[in-house]
Amino acid sequence: MAYLDGELPTDQATEALTHLEVCLECQTLAADFRRVSQELMAWEVTSPGVGVPSEINAALEERFQREAPKVISPRLEARVMTSRWVWAGALAIVCVAVGLELTLTSRNRNEGRSTAYPNMASIEQYLMPDRNAEITLARSAAPAAISSDAKILVLGRRGYETAIEGKNGFVCIVERSWMSPFNSAEFWNPKTRVPGCFNPAAAGSILPLTFKRTEMVLGGASKAQMIDSIKAGFDNKDLPAPGPGAMCYMMSREGYLSDALGHHVPHLMFYFPLTDKSSWGADLPDSPVTLNPQFQGGPEPITEFVIPVGKWSDGTAAPVM
Amino acid sequence: MTSDEALMLEFQGGSRAAFEELFARYHKPLLGFFGRRLNNLERAEDLTQETFLAVIRAASRYEPRALVRTYLYGIALKLLAAERRKVLPSGSSGQSPPEPQTSGTPECVLWVRQAIEKLDAADREILMLREFEQLSYSDISELLRIPVNTVRSRLFRSRLALKSYLEPPTRNDRAETPSAGEQYPGKRVIQ
Repeated sequence: MAYLDGELPTDQATEALTHLEVCLECQTLAADFRRVSQELMAWEVTSPGVGVPSEINAALEERFQREAPKVISPRLEARVMTSRWVWAGALAIVCVAVGLELTLTSRNRNEGRSTAYPNMASIEQYLMPDRNAEITLARSAAPAAISSDAKILVLGRRGYETAIEGKNGFVCIVERSWMSPFNSAEFWNPKTRVPGCFNPAAAGSILPLTFKRTEMVLGGASKAQMIDSIKAGFDNKDLPAPGPGAMCYMMSREGYLSDALGHHVPHLMFYFPLTDKSSWGADLPDSPVTLNPQFQGGPEPITEFVIPVGKWSDGTAAPVM
Repeated sequence: MTSDEALMLEFQGGSRAAFEELFARYHKPLLGFFGRRLNNLERAEDLTQETFLAVIRAASRYEPRALVRTYLYGIALKLLAAERRKVLPSGSSGQSPPEPQTSGTPECVLWVRQAIEKLDAADREILMLREFEQLSYSDISELLRIPVNTVRSRLFRSRLALKSYLEPPTRNDRAETPSAGEQYPGKRVIQ
């Protein structure tokens, strides 16, 4: 269970994962516990209250009046900056360590490790103010031979908008954190930027999921409401099954998948109706194929296999896994 | 994004904007913390506010030894304990506390709440701190002053129990209780 909570050190997590792959009893228990966590998400408490209440404002005023300097002293500023650098350094070390130590399956392993994003941040933090930068980032998902003729979408306040029309049926887009599994601790990480370039089959069958989740997030839906709506969407066929041959390029070296994975490694993703990972030999020793738990019935009935590739979309060599 | 700890230090140094950012980040989580434990949205709002007031009053003494979120939930747990001490003796007033305002499917919420309420109180607190507040084992251990291994074992126990409480009724249960379908509506919605 500590493994599911991301509480094990890397070596023990690897051992736990190895065991989990062969132990049906533990697989069942892990699935049960994930389901329990998912069901608990239904219990949200909300309030119409917005802004800082007057009592707190009054306390703030009192504090600021009582304590003289309203500007940060050089010493304190240095302390703050030091603190920021310490945090940034720590984050960088974590990212490097994770990048070196973990395989693609570690995406699942790291769920729950971060506790920094319990709620959605302000929408501004998820948007990219520079539209051209988002277009460039979206295109970086695939080699130029593919992405230069692809349709490009960018995220606006009301959802994804077409920035550039395409010619080859591919669609490039920068996904945000809410495309993570619903039980991911980084579901609301506003730093997440995941460039993907979907082939025509995936653009017609997988991207609607991105649009659906995004539309609900921007509409203020809770996770429980999103899960309900997605399930209903599949039940009544509003949401399609993965099209034959649906796949996506994720080869950008500029993306930021999560705090745990950072830029990660260039890879390709392949989508199927919900299936067992053994059908592709995923996650077996020395298999280059891993199961991405992004969907996997939670609630989307889609299985996603990932295969790392050796080069970034710009042709430069990728780090060795 | 600026870390909570850096924001706290900036607030300590006189930045109102830093406090407002912390407020924006933690108002809803703290409201959820109190709301789920008290089933009284009005008191939950009050105690959330009191938590922030305590932060303001103690800002000059803040030391970045622990995560801000652990610090905040530490304050919240103390306020919650005080609230429970106040409420319990007069709990027989006959007036039910108002229901918290919840989003999502109400039947699901009711179903989850009922299941959680069946847990042993100590186990329930550990489970809630992990599942809703997303605190780490060591944070929970520190806040509740119990060993990490105890956190781990109780969490396992409470998840197992919760799993059984959240399972749909058996055929026999349904036969014995004609309205069972209404009692477990959440299972129709969230599997």
